[in-house]
Amino acid sequence: MFELARENPWLSRAALFLLVAAALTALGLGGTAVGDLVAPIFGPRDPQVAAGFGRNLLVGVMLAGAFVANLEFIRLLLFRMQVLVVWAELLLLFYGFALSFERDFGVIFEVGDRSGVSNLYFLITTGAFTTIYISLIAISIACVLALAGALGKLSSNGAAYAVATFYISFFRGTPLLLQVVLIYTGFAQLGFVMEAVPAGITALSLCYGAYMAEIFRAGILGVPHGQREAAKALGVPESLIFRKIVFPQAMRLIVPPTGNQFIAMLKDSSLVSVVGVWELTKTAQVLGKRDFQVFEFLIAAAVIYWIMSVVFEVLQSRLEAYYGKGDRR
Amino acid sequence: MNVIVKLGAAALLASAVAVPAAQAGETLDRVMSSKTLTMSSDPEYPPQSFLNDANEMDGFDVDVGKEIAKRLGVELKIVTPSWDIITGGNWGGRWDMSVGSMTPTKSRAEVLNFPAVYYYTPAAFAVHKDSEIDSLDDLDGKTIGSCGGCTYDAYLMKDLEIDAEGAPPFDYEVEAGEIKTYETDTHVFDDLRLGDGARLDAAFSALPTIQEAIKGGYPMKVVGKPAFYEPLSVATDKGDPEFDAKITEIVAEMRADGTLKALSEKWYGVDLTTVE
Repeated sequence: MFELARENPWLSRAALFLLVAAALTALGLGGTAVGDLVAPIFGPRDPQVAAGFGRNLLVGVMLAGAFVANLEFIRLLLFRMQVLVVWAELLLLFYGFALSFERDFGVIFEVGDRSGVSNLYFLITTGAFTTIYISLIAISIACVLALAGALGKLSSNGAAYAVATFYISFFRGTPLLLQVVLIYTGFAQLGFVMEAVPAGITALSLCYGAYMAEIFRAGILGVPHGQREAAKALGVPESLIFRKIVFPQAMRLIVPPTGNQFIAMLKDSSLVSVVGVWELTKTAQVLGKRDFQVFEFLIAAAVIYWIMSVVFEVLQSRLEAYYGKGDRR
Repeated sequence: MNVIVKLGAAALLASAVAVPAAQAGETLDRVMSSKTLTMSSDPEYPPQSFLNDANEMDGFDVDVGKEIAKRLGVELKIVTPSWDIITGGNWGGRWDMSVGSMTPTKSRAEVLNFPAVYYYTPAAFAVHKDSEIDSLDDLDGKTIGSCGGCTYDAYLMKDLEIDAEGAPPFDYEVEAGEIKTYETDTHVFDDLRLGDGARLDAAFSALPTIQEAIKGGYPMKVVGKPAFYEPLSVATDKGDPEFDAKITEIVAEMRADGTLKALSEKWYGVDLTTVE
């Protein structure tokens, strides 16, 4: 059967069409908003009455037809165009999905009578700004902690190894939310009182430093031992070998997963809101609660997070290219 | 790298202030010398406290806080730690008082002081507008949602102790089938709005909060009479009786000269500062 399908592409297309049509019909989409597509034939949809099989079948067949035709269309394009078209289609689907909630998204752009700025402006200047600066400071400190943790774990000194493994084990093994609360309230009881933002940054740095210590360790171990030996043979001073020979090569292995960690941190920084920091999620919730339109603002926050992540993905690929230049021919 | 570590450590130290165990008069001294009264508040709790269209904190609780600061002759500053952190006590001097519609329960009184009750909130049940429930008796055996760690879920679990002066007595009139607790009251309403019985049969919350949500378009209605009235108090950290005495005095003045009543009528449309 598969042999046959491979020889005759039309057969495989027909099989795909039938499969998708059957699945969509079984879903019973006739009674949903998509069912309105067949309103000209079956008459307007009555939400109180379950859609009949005919309606479901027709909707299923139409959608399956559109799906298979779309696949055929994309197949004709060059790779770049394929990527663009599929991205655009998925975004459109997303947009339609958000619209189907029938919420008033206009409120995001509404301008406050007395503030004179739109809600979106406030969401970005207060929320997104705080999220980014907290994450940037935290990832910088985390990199230092990670390097220290990695060197400790690679050290032949028992005490350094013990401290590093204890640190990594504790901060990887406990929830970030608890770390935020512990650092904010726990330290205060010892007489070491931190404000919300420094406490949040400390927790994020310690937690991500622990995860990234493993990344740094793997990166350092990933540099072939011969590099170190070659440097020694050439008489490079011991103190320069790590800094000038091993570390730059390790960076090539460290950068991609670290960029990944940063993007994860952008979103985990929302946990810092429990101590009263108005980062993006908190700001969205506060604005939403004002008029009981939380959902609209959470969608807006999601889109802003996504855009920020895309921007940092691009930066990450630039950085990767920079540290990977030794590999390019 | 060493420089970075040192800088980081210095920044952390600079942002931290070593505070020994609170001493008498310390909070009051800090407030008067810095000319700032710092108050904790929940920005997601309209009409008690929320962000208004000027992007400033506003609401009944905020107005009461502002009035207290004004009568102390200082500026009001607002911070917004989460409810759990406020009720946990040991604020470390990061804020001086909570005007957050907090009920002075016995367990909270172990970690916080309650110098002044400033109003009373009726606690009421709400159901979806399509619901057929129309009395407290109909609520028996139903799935009821409330915020967790609040007086509302304590009432549903028949474990509510209010130890404030003038707290009116109440009976446990509802036998919930299942109690679902949420981080905050608006999440309860979000689940109730999904449909009658979709996740919840009823919500249990402060009557003014329910009314505000209904005004905001939530498809809900109030059922029966309020189940209980809870006194709501200003809270302070343990350890400064002078500051507490000052708050007690100021709130008593505000009650006597009608300021509290006027603020209550401004935000709730009725006088909630005395019990019927």
